[in-house]
This record gives sequence, structure tokens and C-alpha cells, in this order.
Amino acid sequence: MSGRKKQGERVQKKPYTKPEVKQVPLRPEEAVLGFCKNTGVYGPTITGCKPLGNCSGIGS
Amino acid sequence: MSPGEQGIGYRSALSPHCSPLSIRIADINISILTQDPELRIGVEGAAKQFLTHSAAPSPAFDGRVKKPRSGSTLSKPKASGRAVEGLATQANPDVMVQARWGDDFKQCRGEKIFDSGALWQLYSENGFYLFRFISQALGSLPYKVAYFNGSFTEGKVFLQRSYFNDKPCIYPLEYPLDELLFINFLALGRGVEVHACGVMDSRGRGHLFVGQSTAGKTTIAKLWEYEPNSTVLSDDRIILRKMDNTIWMYGTPWHGEAMLASPSRAPLTAVYFLEKGQKNELISQKPVNSIGRLFACSFPPFYNRDALDFILTFLEDVVKNVPCYELRFTPDKRVVEFIKGDRFT
Repeated sequence: MSGRKKQGERVQKKPYTKPEVKQVPLRPEEAVLGFCKNTGVYGPTITGCKPLGNCSGIGS
Repeated sequence: MSPGEQGIGYRSALSPHCSPLSIRIADINISILTQDPELRIGVEGAAKQFLTHSAAPSPAFDGRVKKPRSGSTLSKPKASGRAVEGLATQANPDVMVQARWGDDFKQCRGEKIFDSGALWQLYSENGFYLFRFISQALGSLPYKVAYFNGSFTEGKVFLQRSYFNDKPCIYPLEYPLDELLFINFLALGRGVEVHACGVMDSRGRGHLFVGQSTAGKTTIAKLWEYEPNSTVLSDDRIILRKMDNTIWMYGTPWHGEAMLASPSRAPLTAVYFLEKGQKNELISQKPVNSIGRLFACSFPPFYNRDALDFILTFLEDVVKNVPCYELRFTPDKRVVEFIKGDRFT
């Protein structure tokens, strides 16, 4: 049977590693493209994100 | 106005006074046209570099853009200035968008499926997607609405005339609509956009520097900007696509503060998650960490389960095929030399 180990064969167990939770920071205001792209560089000119203008909200 | 009233099947119904323009980003062709004689459309800012150039379109024109040769010097886009009126068209674009003036933006019968919390909201209506763009600076009514079919291959953009009257030439896909269109179109099995600076070095190798705002993308881009025979594909947004078993990174027009954008592409050679450090060093990453960090710096359509599934699978593929590191760096030229090392040959 394929599931059985041959006699004398040592089972090499992987050492136990405690699971860990890694948090990755999300920035929803950047990820959803909801705001002007960045200060006065790129964005909808009609809403005030025109070049070198004032941006109504910075999102990335 | 709704797609049901106006219909969206205008592919074979172009009037003679249409002035279409075409852009090509990440090997995806978009044609923008209007049948409205009072609406002049054009492209603004860095998107000008992505225009498909053809002064006299003909039936034989296949819509392909000559790619700048590898190692070509980068021209810096101007983020200001008047829009360029494009008259190029493509025989068979991937996406067709029609623009026109609209006047009835009050009604919205669809179901709201996502709210960005700021500039735009997304609705679903009879199988169509409807984006409504509202700015508190302008009032409570949308300055623009856009309908797209479920596959994002056809769309209509309606512009509120009173908000745009003083503009001689209008780019109907003005940010964020152009980027929203791309992230939705890509997410249907075509690729992923990531928050990253992308550099093609003198050997044609693509280096992807991933990070959210303030991570150092602009710093890295400026350090590479005048590096001989290298090209900064973008200082802020890179599109990843897999073609012919190669993962390619493409430049986009959605640049950051370094204002660097290029329509070129390069095969992805390495991914670096940016962290500021005391010296330049690379820290290997577990695949699961890399996927998580890439996902956190991507632009998924959060309202689309299938798209999220695809993006995670795609990022897993990226991580399996391309070495990923945390790059702790010092903000000076030494990091360029450090990356240019021969470790990937």
C-alpha cells in the first residue's frame, strides 16, 4: 500500500512552527482611487487637482 | 439617461464628424470618440505619450504603436498645458468609449455597489456599470457619469456641460476614470496594476519597486532618471501582465510627483518592497508575505469577487516566477549600483 512506509525508513518530520499572523497595512484611500492622485500634479482638473493647483483631497 | 435609453452598441454607427482618438496602455487599445459636434475631445498630461499616432487613419492601420527601443532616453511628460487633440483611430480596439454632453444627471436607478468615499461611486444597472463622479467643490450632482458594459469593452461618458464649458478640449477619461477603466478591464483575467515605480535597466531587465505613498518610489525614480540607457516606466503606477509565459511590467500615464511615465515595457526580473534603511540590503521574503504585500499595493476592484480571485492567483504566479525582496535602502545613488549588480544574470 502506498500509504505505508517501508520498514526502517525514518519519517523526517518537519519541525513545528507556530503559525503567525502578519499584518499588511492597507491604505484604502489610495487603493480605491477616490481622491486626487497627489498634490497638484495629476488629477481631475475640474475638481481642482489641476497642475500646481489646490487639491481637494490627497489620495496617493 | 441610461444605457437602455441610449443603447451602447455604437460600434457600427459612427457619424462622419466623429473625431476619435486612441490610446494604448499595457498593450490595451482604447478608442475614444464623440458624435457630438460641440464636444472637442483630446488627451491631457502624460497620457499624450500613450496616444496612438496616426495622422491619417486608414483601414489598413492595425493600431499598433512603435515601442521605444530598449534603453531609449526618457522624455519627461508635462503635466500641464492644453490637451492634444488626437485623430488617430484603431481598426479593432479592445475598448471603445463614446463621449457626449449630458444634462440629466439627477436620476440614478441602479443599485449602489461601491462608494470610494470621495470622487466616485459605482452603481449596477441592468448589467451595466455606472460610475458617478461627484466633487464637493462643484456641488452634489455629478460632473461626469460613465456607463460600461459588464466586460468593460464598451462605454459611454456623459459630461455635465456647465462644469466643462470653459475648456476648449476635454479628455473624457480624465483621472480617475481612465485608471478605473483599466483596473476593471485588467481584472477580467488580463493583469494587475500595482502601486510601484518600475525601471528598465540598461540590460532590459525590469525592476519593480513596490510601496505605498512615502515609501520611496519617487526617490528611487529620480535616482534612476538619468541613469544611462535605463528607463523609468513610471514613478507610481505599473501594470503587470503575463504574456507568452513572461511577466511584463508596463509603464502607465498615472505618474507621481517625479512625473515620469513611459509607454515602454520590460520583463519583470525582480520585485522589491521598499523600506528605508541605514544601508542597502535585500531581505528575502516568504511567498505568502510577498503576495500580501503586493496585494496591499495593488488596485483591485473590491466589489468584484471573481476579479479579486484572479488578482490573488495572478500575484501568486508573479511570486512563484520572480524573486521578491524587501529592499532596505539609503536614498542616494549607491542603491542604483546595488540593484544593478549581477545577481539576476
